[in-house]
Amino acid sequence: MTIDIDDYRDVWVFVEQHEGDAAPVSWELLSKGRELADETGESLIALVMGDGVSHLAEEAVARGADHALLADDPVFEPYRADPYGEQFRALVEERKPSIVLIGGTHTGRDFAGRVAVPAHAGLTADCTELAVDDEGLLLASRPTFGGDAMATIKCPSHRPQMATVRAGVFDASEATKDDVDAAAAVEEVNVVVTEEDTLSTVIERVVSDVVDITDADVVVAGGAGAEGDFEPIVELAEALGGEVAASRAAVDEGWVEPARQVGQTGKTVRPHLYIAAGISGAVQHLEGMNDSDYVVAVNTDPNAAIFEHADYGIVGDLHEVLPALTAMIREKQEVAV
Amino acid sequence: MNDGWNIVVCVKQVPDADDVTIDPDTGTLNRSDAPAVLNRPDHNAVESALALREAVGGTVTAITMGPPPAKAVLQTAVGAGADGGVLLTDRAFGGSDTWPTSLALARAAEELDADVVICGEESTDSSTGQVPPGIAAHNGWSQLTYVESLEPRPDEDVLVGKRDVEGGYERVAAKLPVVVAMEFGANRPRPAGLHRKIFAETEFEPVEWTASDLCIEDRVGLANSPTKVGGMDTASPVERERVRVDDVDDLYEHIMEVL
Ligand SMILES: Cc1cc2nc3c(=O)[nH]c(=O)nc-3n(C[C@H](O)[C@H](O)[C@H](O)COP(=O)(O)OP(=O)(O)OC[C@H]3O[C@@H](n4cnc5c(N)ncnc54)[C@H](O)[C@@H]3O)c2cc1C
Repeated sequence: MTIDIDDYRDVWVFVEQHEGDAAPVSWELLSKGRELADETGESLIALVMGDGVSHLAEEAVARGADHALLADDPVFEPYRADPYGEQFRALVEERKPSIVLIGGTHTGRDFAGRVAVPAHAGLTADCTELAVDDEGLLLASRPTFGGDAMATIKCPSHRPQMATVRAGVFDASEATKDDVDAAAAVEEVNVVVTEEDTLSTVIERVVSDVVDITDADVVVAGGAGAEGDFEPIVELAEALGGEVAASRAAVDEGWVEPARQVGQTGKTVRPHLYIAAGISGAVQHLEGMNDSDYVVAVNTDPNAAIFEHADYGIVGDLHEVLPALTAMIREKQEVAV
Repeated sequence: MNDGWNIVVCVKQVPDADDVTIDPDTGTLNRSDAPAVLNRPDHNAVESALALREAVGGTVTAITMGPPPAKAVLQTAVGAGADGGVLLTDRAFGGSDTWPTSLALARAAEELDADVVICGEESTDSSTGQVPPGIAAHNGWSQLTYVESLEPRPDEDVLVGKRDVEGGYERVAAKLPVVVAMEFGANRPRPAGLHRKIFAETEFEPVEWTASDLCIEDRVGLANSPTKVGGMDTASPVERERVRVDDVDDLYEHIMEVL
């Protein structure tokens, strides 16, 4: 299958939303998409899909998109892979974007393949860096093997160049334009999927407000070493005014909610200070915390890998070390007051 | 359907993640010195395939794509209780990215008349998570990713999956045939039975299919892979101080310094 890659232009950003609320990664991608579009001299186009979501299409324009495409229909709420994929695919085939960016969330990673496969597009997973080369080719980079290496992926002869992109690695765009021109820059597109065509039904959806640990300045993370008692971690986080996070082992045990998981399949955090307590330092965990300015490790095992990746380490039981530390911090705060 | 479901489980041979090293001179990964094992998340896929067979009846067939030694992961699956295994092996597959890989697995699943295809969440070596949705997309089947647990409804030809979503979960009913990606750690894989294990290692022979057996010889391999690796850099390792402190007072001082 050969295609004329010159037929393809513009940068598309998928605006992920649930029940009318945009996922934070959407606006992060929009600001990165703006940079790429400016570099290639193309337009930045936001794609919004959902039920009653024209406000998000306008917000995307206010935040920097040149145009927004809006597919507004009850079939798109709640999210399901097949109607999203099919609608998106139809738009891609009709309008031929050159670059397509989708959040590396469960939602984005669920349906991106349903666009890339029928379009025979190149799809790079969970990228953390994006750039364009001299010829306008997208350079999508992603960590492999727990962040020990960065692979840069290109799609020289297929279009669009698609990438799912990790949440938390780019700064979100702000609303700069006023809403008056925004509505005019929104185009409602033809909806090509119907409820009868869908292959799945959402029976139940239970979600609460999602905590966002990606912006925190201080993160105190606990692992399997907490042995079911996260109190010392919560207390220390409170004393430092930071967020609680966890390794996958602690999340799998149900001690902490999944939204607080750091790592390859969790969040990427970039705090000033990251305290890892009772965490061994598996590559998949390190990948999510490597961008921290300072790392402190607390672990009973002097040979734990985490010490190799920490600025300050102490061999000790987190149930003793953390409360002592918390007490010292509280004491100082009292003196200050 | 009273004769149960045709359950296909996709498994992959990967270098043991803990043993992969980076060549400091070339910046490339040394996969060769790492022992090859079954991708860890695939253990969860095999377990749910076996549990599903217990619930609805039918058969579990493991498939893998890879060079002949990849047979070992089929043996692992058969040892755990899978009924049989198919090895997709052909030089034509060489250099395949996720697009042709999911095509080959999709064609094999079709050939096996699969009702349910179960995969692991992602592979520990390339970690794209794209193959399960890719299989579903190639065949136009339904899909359930990030699945914590499965609830079959054979009377309705439907599989219900409880999916992990941001901030909670959802339960989705998907029509058969369906492709499932089990979340890593979603279940506790059973240990292989001794007799089954001996059978898998001494008597079991996988069925072998080539690209032309699947009529996809012109659609796989490097030439049909849209993505190309444009470069591999050793991520400049984050320089850490690696200071060991002996007591909490010292640790407190250091933390106050950086804050
Ligand atoms: C596909 C895939 C994706 C993954 N994604 C992620 C991910 O996103 N994030 C993630 O974290 N992991 C991920 N993992 C899992 C990862 O490989 C490790 O299994 C996990 O990070 C281990 O968590 P842990 O360090 O808390 O537990 P363990 O490895 O069990 O370590 C516990 C540590 O606590 C120490 N300890 C015990 N008791 C105490 C105590 N009282 N005080 C202090 N220290 C103590 C021990 O010495 C040990 O070092 C993934 C794995 C796979 C295969």
